[in-house]
Amino acid sequence: MLSKSKLKIFFCLLTLAVTNTAFAQEELKIGGIGPLSGGGTAWGTALQRGMQMAIDEVNASGGLKVGGKTYTPKLVMFDDQYTAAGGRVAADRLVNSEKVNFIVGPIGSPSVLSVVPVTTQGNVVLLSNGFSPAILKNEAKSPYNFRTMNSTVEFGPAMIKWYRQNYPEAKKVALIAPNDAVGQSVVPQLEAYYIANGFEVWKELYDRGSKEFTPLITRMIAQKVDLFDLNSNAPGEAALLLKQARQSGYKGKIWQVGGPSVEEIIDIAGPLAEGFISLNVFDFDAPVAQKFIKTYRQKFGDGVINAQTPGWYNATQILFESIRRAGTIDTLKVRDTLQKMDGYDAGLFGPVSWGGMGDYGVDHQLLLRFWIVEVKGGKVVTKAALHPDKH
Amino acid sequence: MFTTDILSQVVINGLSLSAIYILVALGFTLLFGIMKVVNFSHGAFAMLGGYALFISYGSYKLPYIIALFGSAFTVALISLIFEFLVFKWFYQKMFQSMIGLMGLNMAIVYASVMIWDISERSIPSPDQSILTFGELSIPMDRLWIMSVTLVVLGLFWYFVTYSRQGLAMRAASQDLEIAAAQGINPNRIYKLAFFIAIFMTALAGGLYAQTYALSPFMGERPLMVAFIVVILGGMGSIPGAALGGLILGLGESFLSTFYGGAVSSFVSFGSVVILLILRPWGLLGKPE
Amino acid sequence: MIKAIQNNTESSSQATEMSPRKFTSWQVLLGLTFLILLLIWPQFTTNKFYFTMGTMIALSVIGASSLNLIIRTGHISLAHAAFMGVAAYTCVLSQIYFHINFALACALGCSMSAFLALILGPILLRLTGKYFVLVTFMVGEIIRLVFINWQSLTGGSNGIQEIPRGLDLFKNPTSFYYFSLLISFLCIVFVRRILSSDLGRAIDSLREVESLAECSGIPVSKIKISMFVIACFLVGFQGILQVYLVGYIDPGSFNSEASLNMVVMNVIGGMYHLSGPILGSIFITTLPEFLRGYVDFQRVIFGVVLIVVMAALPGGLMGILFKLKVFLLKALHLEVKNK
Repeated sequence: MLSKSKLKIFFCLLTLAVTNTAFAQEELKIGGIGPLSGGGTAWGTALQRGMQMAIDEVNASGGLKVGGKTYTPKLVMFDDQYTAAGGRVAADRLVNSEKVNFIVGPIGSPSVLSVVPVTTQGNVVLLSNGFSPAILKNEAKSPYNFRTMNSTVEFGPAMIKWYRQNYPEAKKVALIAPNDAVGQSVVPQLEAYYIANGFEVWKELYDRGSKEFTPLITRMIAQKVDLFDLNSNAPGEAALLLKQARQSGYKGKIWQVGGPSVEEIIDIAGPLAEGFISLNVFDFDAPVAQKFIKTYRQKFGDGVINAQTPGWYNATQILFESIRRAGTIDTLKVRDTLQKMDGYDAGLFGPVSWGGMGDYGVDHQLLLRFWIVEVKGGKVVTKAALHPDKH
Repeated sequence: MFTTDILSQVVINGLSLSAIYILVALGFTLLFGIMKVVNFSHGAFAMLGGYALFISYGSYKLPYIIALFGSAFTVALISLIFEFLVFKWFYQKMFQSMIGLMGLNMAIVYASVMIWDISERSIPSPDQSILTFGELSIPMDRLWIMSVTLVVLGLFWYFVTYSRQGLAMRAASQDLEIAAAQGINPNRIYKLAFFIAIFMTALAGGLYAQTYALSPFMGERPLMVAFIVVILGGMGSIPGAALGGLILGLGESFLSTFYGGAVSSFVSFGSVVILLILRPWGLLGKPE
Repeated sequence: MIKAIQNNTESSSQATEMSPRKFTSWQVLLGLTFLILLLIWPQFTTNKFYFTMGTMIALSVIGASSLNLIIRTGHISLAHAAFMGVAAYTCVLSQIYFHINFALACALGCSMSAFLALILGPILLRLTGKYFVLVTFMVGEIIRLVFINWQSLTGGSNGIQEIPRGLDLFKNPTSFYYFSLLISFLCIVFVRRILSSDLGRAIDSLREVESLAECSGIPVSKIKISMFVIACFLVGFQGILQVYLVGYIDPGSFNSEASLNMVVMNVIGGMYHLSGPILGSIFITTLPEFLRGYVDFQRVIFGVVLIVVMAALPGGLMGILFKLKVFLLKALHLEVKNK
């Protein structure tokens, strides 16, 4: 038997060896840009947490194995304050100061649109969100940027077609939206899809800040609509719109092609939420989600899980896998591999499917599975699982 | 579009809006009337009132009336610290008070972000029922707010007009030196006025948060509303706050329902600008 | 009125002491060193981020110092960023629709914001104190709503994505920086010439006690309006260059928060001397970069600083530095030369 002191020495050396290997692993900085202050903080935090979860998972399994080397991914996250200038400064700092080659985020269109020129010029791979089609559809044809969450262009047509099939008697739809960047892009898009499916459309935009919608709702009821679409409203506003609509006596159907805001609506509107139908970007009840939820709870506690968090986790995992498959951290090669990731399943959304050639001129839109849910008896019930058309 | 049904609903909506607006503006106009302080941190105190109600009614489930008035009382009590640390330096100093209190607003709002995080919360409503009269709908909780406003308005007006302290406050607002010569202690009167003002503000904030949503940034809108109401009605005038609130609430309801949100915003901002240019002391105020 | 004079004597004496009509040799030396540093540091680094930061700081100095002109006349404007936006949109739209070159578009932009100031000035400047703050806030909001609602012209909340090139030198971050530095320098020199001339003395006096100034024959309204117009003209440069730096224009950069930031720069830096807003804008623009990750805490500190400055240190950072200099000189038994 080894003596006690020799055992101690052995374990010391073993620890040293292990930690030295850990230190010998090179760090791979992954940049993150999102709002960490001001009104958009919930989404920025979702981005940060989703990325961190993916990074922690990779590190727990020994690091990112690329070709012959192993890297330790590390998140470098900067606040863009949800503005164009903020995104620009954050991107500049990440690309030029921190020398980062892969960035996930930002979230809002103004920020993404000012980040893209910086990352394209720096040959930096960008996995972003943002509602504006111009993010992918531009002169440069988006060589290095990809959009990793569905926008209205992806889920809108499929959802409205589904509604038309299931509720053929509906004639007139009301769209109430904020007059911000998202509202102003999404409403014309939805209007076109509704008209294509045989609906008459009434729309009204409000200035963000006020949460008193009863005058607009009274205006809407006077239009005799039979469907009220909460579209791009933020969860808080969507919940108030629904509650105030019901309180004002609106009896027609309410749904949301956007959001999702289901949790907030149930919380704020209570029994008035009965019958509400919505898009859901993640099925928190599915078996595949449980592991994700458990890990999230361990790291971040009991608060509401922002539904975008799994999407960012997904994006980061796809990025890691494409780096692995490319066998190098050279961004040109990673970009090429990323484009060929169709079929890879990161575990939450099914196999990767890139699309968007018809809409944007380039196949850099990740087509994610999404769900239609309904509130029945205070609970969220899944009605259908849909996939964006690939065109 | 202009049917009696719609018109009556517009009036009801307008009255319920006015009730909230008046309540929000009362504390603001009191602080200006007595201490000549433009309270740019008004929204922050409303927000604190919201969180206080959230804690007392949402988390601790105290009976509603106790929670509502108790939380406003507590916020007012705790805010005396701010009176001592901050407001005291700015009484009677218009310019410094504006920027200094903007600073206080920033500090309170972002401290709240650090304490409570930015996500929006909701406060459960004590009564979710809806009254219907034919085509008209009035949610019970809005009726409740209208009654609270009437009660508070009445009590406050009575206090200022008929009580000794109220008389002292009005004297202090007209001429501090002479009032002091009459034996009125300016410090005590200011503290009392501050306490009452914050009490009403926190109360309004609690009801506002309950009706809409609670977050550290929720105070921005109450601040703007308070400004507009008080400019319309006259700074430092209680009947002015009531009148201003009615005009703003009914006006918004009417314009938004019949002409849409954009028109309503342009007209309300535009009229405030015009009123400021032509009659800055408001409809019921006095020129300085 | 006597109270008003007494209340303002400290600020006026500080103002006169801190803005001497001629420079001392020390000040010239200090100024030159600072200038040389500003010019040569880009040669020592290739980090594009620093150039972006440097350009942003230079541009924010334009806004803060032009606002100082208005503040010196005794008015706090919360619409300054809105005027910045008017100039920026005018410049971009005139390049898009009229295909004119950048220099002309830039001049058109700044003139548009000056023109708007000329129309609104006489009406708004009749108000003082809190009323002026409120009315400029409302005007700023109205302008913002116009930007958002006039979608066919301005692109609404989404703005205009791919704006025309501007000058060729904009492509190079280093030359963009030097260009912004030049414009910023010219603005500061221009503002300083105004403030240290007899006109500047008239401005100080009309801020202190307006009625007395008017009795002395100073054309109060004319001065206030011209300062307002000049300030709005100058801030146009910041708006335009900022937009061409980012390559994208949207209403979000021209809201009341941006205006408030410019006011804060003036207050924290010190309102009574031109170096105040310069110092303040450098401070406010760079601090977020150092405190990344502590954004909320940073704002709490800003708030507290504002309270402290307003309550006890009306001269801001410059005031503190000035008092420090006086103290040191007296402690070293040297004479204070600038009386």
